[in-house]
Amino acid sequence: MNDEKLTLYYYNDGLSRDERQQVVNMLASEQDVAKRYQSICRQLDSLAEVEVATAPPDMVERWHESINRAARAAVVVSPKPVLHTWSFIWGAAITAALAIGIGIGIYVSGDNASEVIVPNTLVTSSRNSNAFVRGLQVHLRESEQGLSATPFNSTADRTLLIMSIIEQNRLFERVAQQNDSDGLARVLRSFELVLVRLAADDISAQEAAELQTKLLFELNVVLTKLARDTSDESQTI
Amino acid sequence: MNTSTKIVTTLVVLLSTSLAFAQDEDIGEKDELKIAALEALIMVPPEQALPRVRKILEGNSSDDVKESALFILSQMDLPEAQTLLVETARTSEGALQEEAIQMIGVGGDPAALSALKGMYEVGDIDIRQAVLEALMIAHDVDAVMEIAMAAEAEAEFEAAVEMLAVMDATEELRSLRDRPGMSGALIEAFIISDDAETLREFALDGSNKERQLEAIEALGIVDGDQAGATLMSIYQGTDDEEIRGAVLDGMLIADYDDGILELYRASSDPTEKTELLEYLTMMDSEALWEIIDAALEGED
Repeated sequence: MNDEKLTLYYYNDGLSRDERQQVVNMLASEQDVAKRYQSICRQLDSLAEVEVATAPPDMVERWHESINRAARAAVVVSPKPVLHTWSFIWGAAITAALAIGIGIGIYVSGDNASEVIVPNTLVTSSRNSNAFVRGLQVHLRESEQGLSATPFNSTADRTLLIMSIIEQNRLFERVAQQNDSDGLARVLRSFELVLVRLAADDISAQEAAELQTKLLFELNVVLTKLARDTSDESQTI
Repeated sequence: MNTSTKIVTTLVVLLSTSLAFAQDEDIGEKDELKIAALEALIMVPPEQALPRVRKILEGNSSDDVKESALFILSQMDLPEAQTLLVETARTSEGALQEEAIQMIGVGGDPAALSALKGMYEVGDIDIRQAVLEALMIAHDVDAVMEIAMAAEAEAEFEAAVEMLAVMDATEELRSLRDRPGMSGALIEAFIISDDAETLREFALDGSNKERQLEAIEALGIVDGDQAGATLMSIYQGTDDEEIRGAVLDGMLIADYDDGILELYRASSDPTEKTELLEYLTMMDSEALWEIIDAALEGED
């Protein structure tokens, strides 16, 4: 009984009724299989139960102060703020703040919230590569759901949400690049450009709506492509 | 009928239906339908998807629909798809052209990326920015470096080095460090790339005061607590008011109130002490009340 089958069993996906019954029987009769399954459950639960932690107000205030200070120290004023790379400094600042302050990552362990599994370790084998793809799917799906559910007029909530998405997006982009998934890395970088624009203070509701529609479309396409690749439809795009 | 054929049939129906809706349905709904059909194209063989995407790009669809089509193109592993992206980037205008350029970056095809060079040379500021973003997305450090080295205007140089910084191209940025008249752009790039080492060198180098002042403040941004020792040594080693002011700004940015407190306690100059106290007030330092009480009681 391989781990892949146990993973499919966990997700209730891709196994026939007979195969599922076979897994049930094995779990009941083979102690080592049951142990492995428990371990897989723990790992996958930690991916599935990701929640974007709400930062305490005083911490949020400190981030804003830090960002304001950084902005005051800026040497150059951007003529086109939504596109300007100064936004990336902002992004870097929040990344640092988030890294210190809250465990927002998909890879936060369920057993110990302070223990973050380094993403690179997740793709050193095909089994872990699957975990990476699963994790990425969770990230993209949650980004999609989070953006859809957060109203445009809720600026503070949206900013926090986008900050957390950017942080996760960067983790996945790095892992993708380190593991020669250049296509994914490029798509994730392009997502960040849109996310940074979405987080800009001076964006109008209409522009935000348009960007969000664009991003949701692209997230959907990538999710579909990932699902397609996972199911090994070799004759498609 | 296999799965692919079913999907294609469904898509043809969807696209046809969307065209039939054209005359009597709201444009938004029509666009939504087309975009949904485009989304489904990712599931069909690229050879079958490409002509349909081409038809959308050559037709009268809205820019929103065409932009969605461009993203689908970027996800196709077909040379013809990348060629179509380049064609669209060359022949379209405005936001659609910028989107096509970015999607060349997402596609990452080397031949398509090499076409961006010509577009950059003849493009306006928006096109140039779109090209830089495409190169960043494709992580083509060499191409951005080439643009930075060829740039003559400060704004152009600045845009290129900032993109290098976003790409964490630390060594390439360091090789540009002595470019005359560009210190502001470079300092910002070193901030973005979190290059505390180079900023520390600039902060300690008194041969270029403008650059030194910028680097001192920048050090507070990128180096946080680690900046403290460097900033203290700069402050204590100079009488220059401008440099001392920059150091205090750097400490404020780094939230290094311990350093300011140390300077406050070491100072016997009332003017200097007042200034340091102002900084501690701005920083909401925990030691503030202790100092205020001591000052009111006439102690040091």
